[in-house]
Amino acid sequence: MTESEKKIRVAFVGNPNCGKTTLFNAVTGSRLKVANWPGVTVEKKEGSAQYEDCSLTIVDTPGIYSLTCYTIEEKVTRQCVMDDEIDAVVNVVDASSLERNLYLTLQLLELGKPVILALNMMDIVSERGMEIDLHRLPELLGGIPVVPVSAAKRTGLGILLHAVVHHCEEGAVGPVLTYGKEIEEKITRLEEMMQAHYPQHSSIRWHALKLLENDEDVMNEHPISIENVVGRSYEKDIIQKKYAYIENIIREVLFHKEKQAASTDRIDRTLTHPFWGVPIFLLIMCFVFFLTFTVGDFLKGGFEMALGFLSAQVSSLLVSVRCAPWLISLIVEGIMAGVGGILTFIPNIVILFLALAILEDSGYMSRVAYVMDHIMGRAGLSGKAFLPMVLGFGCTVPAIMATRALETERDRRKTMLITPFMSCSARLPIYVLFSDMFFANCKVLAAFSMYAIGMIVAIVSALVIHGREKGKESADCLLIELPEYKRPNIRTIGIYVWTKLKDYLEKAGTTIFLASIIIWFVLNFGMHGMVEDAADSFGAMIGRSMMPLLAPAGLDMWQIAVALISGISAKEVVVSSFTVLFGVVNADSAAGMAAIVDRIHMQKPDFGPLNAYALMVFCLLYVPCAATIATVKKESGSWKFTGKMVVFQLLLAWCAATAVYQIGRVLF
Amino acid sequence: MTLYDGTTGASYQVKSVFVEAAVTRRLQALGINDGTCVKILNRKRQGAMIIQVRGTRLALGRHISSCIEVTELREKECAI
Repeated sequence: MTESEKKIRVAFVGNPNCGKTTLFNAVTGSRLKVANWPGVTVEKKEGSAQYEDCSLTIVDTPGIYSLTCYTIEEKVTRQCVMDDEIDAVVNVVDASSLERNLYLTLQLLELGKPVILALNMMDIVSERGMEIDLHRLPELLGGIPVVPVSAAKRTGLGILLHAVVHHCEEGAVGPVLTYGKEIEEKITRLEEMMQAHYPQHSSIRWHALKLLENDEDVMNEHPISIENVVGRSYEKDIIQKKYAYIENIIREVLFHKEKQAASTDRIDRTLTHPFWGVPIFLLIMCFVFFLTFTVGDFLKGGFEMALGFLSAQVSSLLVSVRCAPWLISLIVEGIMAGVGGILTFIPNIVILFLALAILEDSGYMSRVAYVMDHIMGRAGLSGKAFLPMVLGFGCTVPAIMATRALETERDRRKTMLITPFMSCSARLPIYVLFSDMFFANCKVLAAFSMYAIGMIVAIVSALVIHGREKGKESADCLLIELPEYKRPNIRTIGIYVWTKLKDYLEKAGTTIFLASIIIWFVLNFGMHGMVEDAADSFGAMIGRSMMPLLAPAGLDMWQIAVALISGISAKEVVVSSFTVLFGVVNADSAAGMAAIVDRIHMQKPDFGPLNAYALMVFCLLYVPCAATIATVKKESGSWKFTGKMVVFQLLLAWCAATAVYQIGRVLF
Repeated sequence: MTLYDGTTGASYQVKSVFVEAAVTRRLQALGINDGTCVKILNRKRQGAMIIQVRGTRLALGRHISSCIEVTELREKECAI
């Protein structure tokens, strides 16, 4: 191999929320999601970087506190680090909580791979007035390179890559920490035994230590008989030694450590107040949705005008080139109505994600877990299960994936089951459209009530499930790190919002585009070819067969049945179907809405606010989109569970919508 | 006494941890083991608490905090 072909595989490893992904984005030019709470990254991701004549493959891993397996992400990281293909490990360390971070560092050093310490967040350290002795720290860590970086400000990156390339050539340093005569003797004996059994093995010392700690995974992976060497578990002794060593390092290298972040404590006194914590959280969420609806609506005008103008232009252009009438119908009434209708909701979506991004990047997310802990506790879940639920306000798919951070499979499944009840951004267009059309006086309230109902249904479902699990008493096992509050980073928020917007546009261009064409097709074709009246189409036939089922909920219109079925592909499709079904190009404008209401009344003269509300409730609760179903299957690994979930959600949606309609009819 | 019986603002030293093995490992990785000093920053009357340990903040549920045996420390006895 020539010099110019040198390749190195590097893993970025570190505690949760220490800035691995921010550093990864800075080094590789990627745009992965980052935020200020532990557990944002749940999968390993790869990127590449170039340093002089060396090409580096960089692997970003989920954050871990130690190399012992506890949650799914930790297993992912441990497997990745142990992988023989990894040439070097960059241990990303949050310098502002050096003491806790060094525990993992000591474990990584024992692996016998070259380790480079990237000291992140040095700016926070100096802001607080703390100081770290950058000469003594590497000396105490066996001479490994220690590089101060700022992932957010993109400083120190070149030096870091330089250190990686050179340290890889030099190889790993020897053991940094010795455990005293008794343990060291046993390590030596175990190392000899390991060497004899597994001569290819690269992390002999680490394995010997894990055998002394009675680590089950390690024993199963490389079984050797150790009974005559290891009489008892030395886990406690080994951990105590490590912490004693760390305390010694901290004494030598960290100065002014008493300067804690006073501002975080001050903010926490209010935001995590024993009584006001929950009301404050609800108020914050109210404010987020209020912004979404009001500011979003305010910005929408421009989009509407542009779309109206565009569809008029396209239509006249198609007529002028003598396009076949069916093709004009497909393009204008099918694609432009369906896809364009969805695009006018972009301002609402952007505002929602902007608000969620700020919330996630500020450091408040972990506090939500603490604040909601006692409410979730009654449902047999820890407050941590509320984090996926908050993410569910944005999109259900990443929210389902975020359940990986939960400790037990039972908690994960329960959370997966209730997370889809949190109103995702795809349901937003439905609320905006129907509350605008039927609740002119209190549209924000009508839309907002959907979010409240979703949350209540989620928590009540969890309570009911918990009630049925008698005997399996689950304890309140909340354990989560609370990061310091920080000013949200504009770049981070930009990446977050842009990624979400791109997903939305992609969905408009693929799923919604296809769904619009299919809807147009089933509405314009019947048993005898193309039909004049949509009432003779395939769509009407399918819809009519479903009408008796929807009648108790006051939704007995074949168009609604068609829209709801097509909405399983993606929830926005409910709206785009309505626009196609009623032949309205610009649904999200006053004229478009008036046209839809007119046409609904032509079909069903008594369709009023109550019916609309029942429809909104149905849309809130029924089967989440196809992507969510696929994700739940992937994450749970069970078709049975996924199937049960779908049936449960369909039944619940039907019951709730029927209850709303029937009770409402008595009351009003 | 257990950490759960502690009061806001007071500091404690961990004597021992009696909780499921998996949680014990997690606590050790987060820096809570025998002899560690912790300070209660905030707590709910019957439920979770926020503690400071080794320069970081952790939220602990009731189950975990009531399985951590501690002794109270006087002011400045232990730097956290």
